[in-house]
Amino acid sequence: MILQVVPGGPLEMEIMRIRMGGAMGEGPSSTSSSSGISIPESAMEEIKKFYGFDKPIYERYIVWVGNLFKLNLGKSYVYAEPVWDVITSRFPVSIYFGMISFLLTYLVCIPLGVYKAVKNGSTFDIISSAIVFIGYSIPGFALGAFLLVMFGGGSFLDWFPLGGFRSNDYDTLSSVDKIKDQIHHTVLPVISYVISGFATLTILTKNSVIENLSQDYIRTAFSKGISEKRVIFYHALRNSLIPIATGLGHFLGILVAGSFLIETVFNIDGIGLLGYKSIVQRDYPVVMGLLVINTLLLLVGNIISDIIYAIVDPRIRFK
Amino acid sequence: MKQENILEVKNLKVKFPVAGGILLRKVAEVKAVDGVSLELRRGETLGLVGESGCGKSTIGKAVINILKFSSPDVDISGEVWLKTEEGEVNLLSLSRNEMRKYRGQIQMIFQDPYSSLNSRMTVGQIIEEPLLYHTKMNKDERNERVAWLLEKVGLQAEQSKRYPHEFSGGQRQRIGIARALSTNPKIIIADEPVSALDVSIQAQVINLMQELQKEFDLSIVFIAHDLSVVEHISSRIAVMYLGNIAESGPGSDIYHKPIHPYSKALLSAVPLPNPKLKNKERIILTGDVPTPMNKPSGCGFRTRCPIAKPECADSVPVLELKLPDHYAACPYVSGN
Repeated sequence: MILQVVPGGPLEMEIMRIRMGGAMGEGPSSTSSSSGISIPESAMEEIKKFYGFDKPIYERYIVWVGNLFKLNLGKSYVYAEPVWDVITSRFPVSIYFGMISFLLTYLVCIPLGVYKAVKNGSTFDIISSAIVFIGYSIPGFALGAFLLVMFGGGSFLDWFPLGGFRSNDYDTLSSVDKIKDQIHHTVLPVISYVISGFATLTILTKNSVIENLSQDYIRTAFSKGISEKRVIFYHALRNSLIPIATGLGHFLGILVAGSFLIETVFNIDGIGLLGYKSIVQRDYPVVMGLLVINTLLLLVGNIISDIIYAIVDPRIRFK
Repeated sequence: MKQENILEVKNLKVKFPVAGGILLRKVAEVKAVDGVSLELRRGETLGLVGESGCGKSTIGKAVINILKFSSPDVDISGEVWLKTEEGEVNLLSLSRNEMRKYRGQIQMIFQDPYSSLNSRMTVGQIIEEPLLYHTKMNKDERNERVAWLLEKVGLQAEQSKRYPHEFSGGQRQRIGIARALSTNPKIIIADEPVSALDVSIQAQVINLMQELQKEFDLSIVFIAHDLSVVEHISSRIAVMYLGNIAESGPGSDIYHKPIHPYSKALLSAVPLPNPKLKNKERIILTGDVPTPMNKPSGCGFRTRCPIAKPECADSVPVLELKLPDHYAACPYVSGN
């Protein structure tokens, strides 16, 4: 809605293009009057009709919702393709980065959090906390830009490519080189993706485990004489997973939707970059399409969270 | 007839550091247990009584060597000798891993039946878990044992698939007892096992424990602050005050003929169910229990003792034999 009101929509762009074209056609002699060129009323109507702006906003919305139920998201203004195709063609890229950062975050943070909980107050605990909090306070896109300058072959080190999902000659490479090339392009964006997520999950895990370790049933478990490992990983961690499970579903949304700014910084042609471009270019159908998909993902994510809840907490299972 | 000792606690001291200030340095220490010696005889129930904060539960936890898990900074000294078939071992000298071998023989029943059971495990899993580590039973044997234990404590075998929250407090404490019994222990430390239950359930659980004691040939350390419960179950009683044993002896002796001034005051505070029996003399102690962070010198009880003398501040009184098998830590009283 807000986007529709912001100037610079396709209508204005089209008008601009016509004006520019007109100005060029007329040559330098009429520069003075180029801004004053009037577009014929009939042409205006035609353009409006082409984009569907001849109808009021609520009517357009009703039509759009109607189409939505027919799984028709409309056509992109910019790409002149169905929105669905535009979006799905970007999915693999965003899922690729999403999955990697997701796995990396969980595989690092949960063991780290548990270890920090067991060694609470130790030097390792304090230092690692400092590191994750510094990471948390750095925005991913800013770090991305910084990493590009440092390692992207700009002024300092030429270790990693300057963005992109793969090299341009990717298809001509051998399969080993393909993997290398892919990893080469993955490192910097993934670091930017995960850096801020580490802190939340690590500290969440740590606090949750500490809280559970002080519970009476942990004392019971120790008195049973079972191993410390089992007490921590079976008794304490299982009970600590509930807050962690909540995040899991929400993560799905981020996972697939990518990040607007990081994808823009690294020029990765995923959902994030598509969203960013669509907003800049006022490609309403794509923006709306992304909105629908993100909303759906969020809903699915919440359901997944609830299912995971039931897995880790038998008390809320339905009989 | 005096039975042999199965567990001996010698000069046990437990100190908790108190951290304070910005840097959380150790500024003081709480002497929760200050040189306690106890013995538990085979097949008996030793009642351990005292006011809140006198160190009863701490002794229980120190005996099963579990204090370090909840408070890593704790300072424990003394000896806890457990008599096993292979001879005696000092439990306090064992590392965590070595201790695990003996956990099957000495088990604890915890105070709070709500929080001491893992809410994410079924009752069957809770009872079964110690068997995984202390026995070589296979799955079927373990299930059979769980079912048998559940029936022993008055629950049904089918209930093993349920979760703790589906049970009442009394039932949960029964689960706790079944869990403690699963490895066939010789000694049970019962840390206020009934204080979280209401009175009618208390009686059921106490009676259950007595039946099981006979059947399993258990020796029990029964920690409680409810004197009537302790009298009912204990063959011997030890009265604690501020980290020390004030008096110990046969249950009925302590209950009816207390020697130590603290025991006298404590027992005179037990309410009588019959309102007509009002002629009982009540000894009212003045003041509060001193904090174990800053204990009085000499006898810990002297600040509130009705017969305190200036000499009481000089040295800590030791337990003296006053009557057969009956000790009291006060040089100014006698058994008659």
